[in-house]
Amino acid sequence: MKRLLPSFLSIFLSACALTGCVHKAAVGTPAEQLATAWSDYRLGEFSSAQVGFEGVVAGAKPGSGPHLQGLYGLATTWNLRRPGEDTGKAATLYRELLRLAPTNDLAAWSQLALARLQHLVPVGEEPDYPAVRKAYQEVIDRFPQHLAGEEAFIYQQSTYLLNRDNKAEAREALEALQRFVQTHAGSRFLNPAYNVMGAAHRMLGEPDAAVACMVKAFETTEADADNPSQEFAGTYWSIAATAEFEAGDFASARKFYKRLIAEYPVDQRVQGARDALTRMDAVEAGLRGGSNVVAAAGGIAP
Amino acid sequence: MIRRLWQGLRAYFALLVVIAVFAWSAIYIRLHRTQESPPGTTTLRLGHWQLETSVRDAFNTLAAEYEKTHPGVRIVQDAVPESTYGQWVSTQLMGGTAPDIMELSLGLPYQIWLSYYNRYFVPMTPYVNRPNPYNVGTDLEGVPLRNTYKDGMRTSYIDEMQEYINIPLAQFGVRIFYNRDLLRRLTGLEQAPLEYRAFLDVCRRIGEQKDPQGRNYIAIAGSAYHVGMWESMMADPLTYGGLKRVDFNRDGVAGNDETFVAFKSGRVDLHYPPYAAKFKMMWELTEHFQTGYTGLTRDEAVMLFAQQRAVFMSTGTWDARSLQQQAKGRFDIGVMEFPMPTKDDPEFGPFMQGRVYERPQSGFPFGVTRTSQHVDLAIDFLLFLASKKQNQHLNQIIGWIPAIQGTEMDPLLKAFEPHLVGVYSGMNLQLGGETWIKWMQVYSLFQVRQITFEQLIAAFEPFYKERGLLDFLEIQKDWRRGMQINEQFLAGIRARALAVANPASPDWVKYRALTASRMVMPEIDHAGQMRLVEKGPAPDAVGPYEYSSNVLARVKARLTAERR
Repeated sequence: MKRLLPSFLSIFLSACALTGCVHKAAVGTPAEQLATAWSDYRLGEFSSAQVGFEGVVAGAKPGSGPHLQGLYGLATTWNLRRPGEDTGKAATLYRELLRLAPTNDLAAWSQLALARLQHLVPVGEEPDYPAVRKAYQEVIDRFPQHLAGEEAFIYQQSTYLLNRDNKAEAREALEALQRFVQTHAGSRFLNPAYNVMGAAHRMLGEPDAAVACMVKAFETTEADADNPSQEFAGTYWSIAATAEFEAGDFASARKFYKRLIAEYPVDQRVQGARDALTRMDAVEAGLRGGSNVVAAAGGIAP
Repeated sequence: MIRRLWQGLRAYFALLVVIAVFAWSAIYIRLHRTQESPPGTTTLRLGHWQLETSVRDAFNTLAAEYEKTHPGVRIVQDAVPESTYGQWVSTQLMGGTAPDIMELSLGLPYQIWLSYYNRYFVPMTPYVNRPNPYNVGTDLEGVPLRNTYKDGMRTSYIDEMQEYINIPLAQFGVRIFYNRDLLRRLTGLEQAPLEYRAFLDVCRRIGEQKDPQGRNYIAIAGSAYHVGMWESMMADPLTYGGLKRVDFNRDGVAGNDETFVAFKSGRVDLHYPPYAAKFKMMWELTEHFQTGYTGLTRDEAVMLFAQQRAVFMSTGTWDARSLQQQAKGRFDIGVMEFPMPTKDDPEFGPFMQGRVYERPQSGFPFGVTRTSQHVDLAIDFLLFLASKKQNQHLNQIIGWIPAIQGTEMDPLLKAFEPHLVGVYSGMNLQLGGETWIKWMQVYSLFQVRQITFEQLIAAFEPFYKERGLLDFLEIQKDWRRGMQINEQFLAGIRARALAVANPASPDWVKYRALTASRMVMPEIDHAGQMRLVEKGPAPDAVGPYEYSSNVLARVKARLTAERR
């Protein structure tokens, strides 16, 4: 008995320890299981999320709604979990979903995920941009009216602005974006489209058009009412400063500096905005009078 | 029989001791808890790291008021020392024994806190857009909770989670405390001067006089903890003009990467007048700190001040009440703004754009744990503490600044009224890695006056420009890692949005807003910055806030057109 006691104790303690390691069995409806798995994913509990999604996939009829949702969740988990990602497995699962339900909503997001896989390469590698653009084009071609297709288009055009020396590519992207805003007036991606257009105009040395696009981007911003860090003080400052220092458009600059002061009175840039108003008055006075006070008024500080 | 029993006891002595200690602990805890929470009562436990008597008194007073209107509720505090708070939080949360309400964000790296927020805390998002019921009858009645805060609850919002996670209860500020009696005795002044040159003169006069033991008085009680306050409140604002040359993305803030690009491309250096002014001021100020102050801790500086050997000491609202208590009956304490040069100061005047900007930020944040048996009650108690009347009362007892709009401050804290319009640093050398270590080494030597400004530049600037490139590239790798984390995060938001068909739903709006702001434009900005580092600016390029001749010609053309 005396000899057996340590063994009993060991078995007992091991059993206690193991109970903490066993994954909880999947319970509830497929919808509930999916919700739990996504919640695990968001909490960074990727192993639990994976088990949850696998449970849904195994328990659902192939091609059914829950099956596709499980596949998509599982693919996303393998794609984006860190550490332990397996992008090869993720790509296989995304393709499986595309094969099973090529017109499903999730097929569009899977196609976009395949393109993003090529764009977001591991640290230390450079994306193969021609291949990335081609992958985005596939999403655009297959899902032209879908949100995923529009998102793919924005990403695709933004890649043309990554080489600042290639003005031809910037021009090409700008024209494509101009067509997009004309033909997709109701698109929910107008804000990033105008922002990318603004960047293209700046690269091409067209500051007036750049300011106009920044203003349009601001006007088409979808406000996330809950997010206090998504306010417009930074946007106002950025538009005003670009108008002042790139376009020499003091009227627009004044308008947005004043909005910043009025709408965000305790923002840290308020002093800068006030100084800018004084500075622009001084510059104009100098230019009107033909004197050279401009140099003294240049910039934020003397 | 007894012999066998004795042998058995000897054989299992260790095990029996463990069992006995466990049994004793269990009984003690049970009895203790029963005493704290008699049958029929609901106990809310509140964990925090504020050991100051005034904080515990304030919570007890407010708890008693809450209990009056909520019979059967008891509120119990767990005050844990700062030094062990991180470990305590971890064990409590992981063990499922955490208090209902916990003070957040001390003692652990941010990423760990972030994972805890995710796993263990109840999001406050549903409550922030609803009125605080305890504001009924005040001018904040019907106002959404977040709009009742001076800072709009900005600090409660966790960007990575896109959720509000805490209820903050106070605001903080930094000012100079001074010994009025000693100042009067040594200088004949009733008030400390607020003008920089006059302040330096007073410091010099104080340092020339000796105490009864024959030791020179010290003008400013400093330490490694305190020097940063003088630097950020007085010297950093002089660098504001640096933005003109370094804020390439024109967001109004000097990033560490932007500062490096500006140095690397030759747009600025440490001789750049606004930057050189900062170091000149630090050199002049630190002359009046006690010798070897960078090797001293906060407590040692406080001791010097409390012993009346030093006249001035910078510190925050968090120390106000305890300093007041230490000085009680011995000397009179004054609180003053940091002195500033005038605009006509021959050295610093040209860089004096204004006082330092103080962002209204709430702190003293509390969250409700998911393991709480009384989540609704815990949130209700926090709302009670965050109501206009109670928040004012709470902070009045503690001696801190209330976080809620329209509240009144303790008279001692009037000087802490934040400067909501002002300037800030236009230089950011914190590139991390070897560069930052080098900076800390050489800057410490400069602070204790072992090397001059020129020696500081010679020791740091070439190293920064050369080695900084590696640290800069490491930041770029972090940026790419960040993009992957953003993608992971966005997939989670998208999954939630996919459950809603309406593309105008808040989850879809959030998804698209974050896609645009975190994924699309940052990549374009990043490419521009990399190009600037690799190729440098165009020979004729002006700074981001400087007029080119071309722009001036455009302004002139517009003016001419208007005249016509």
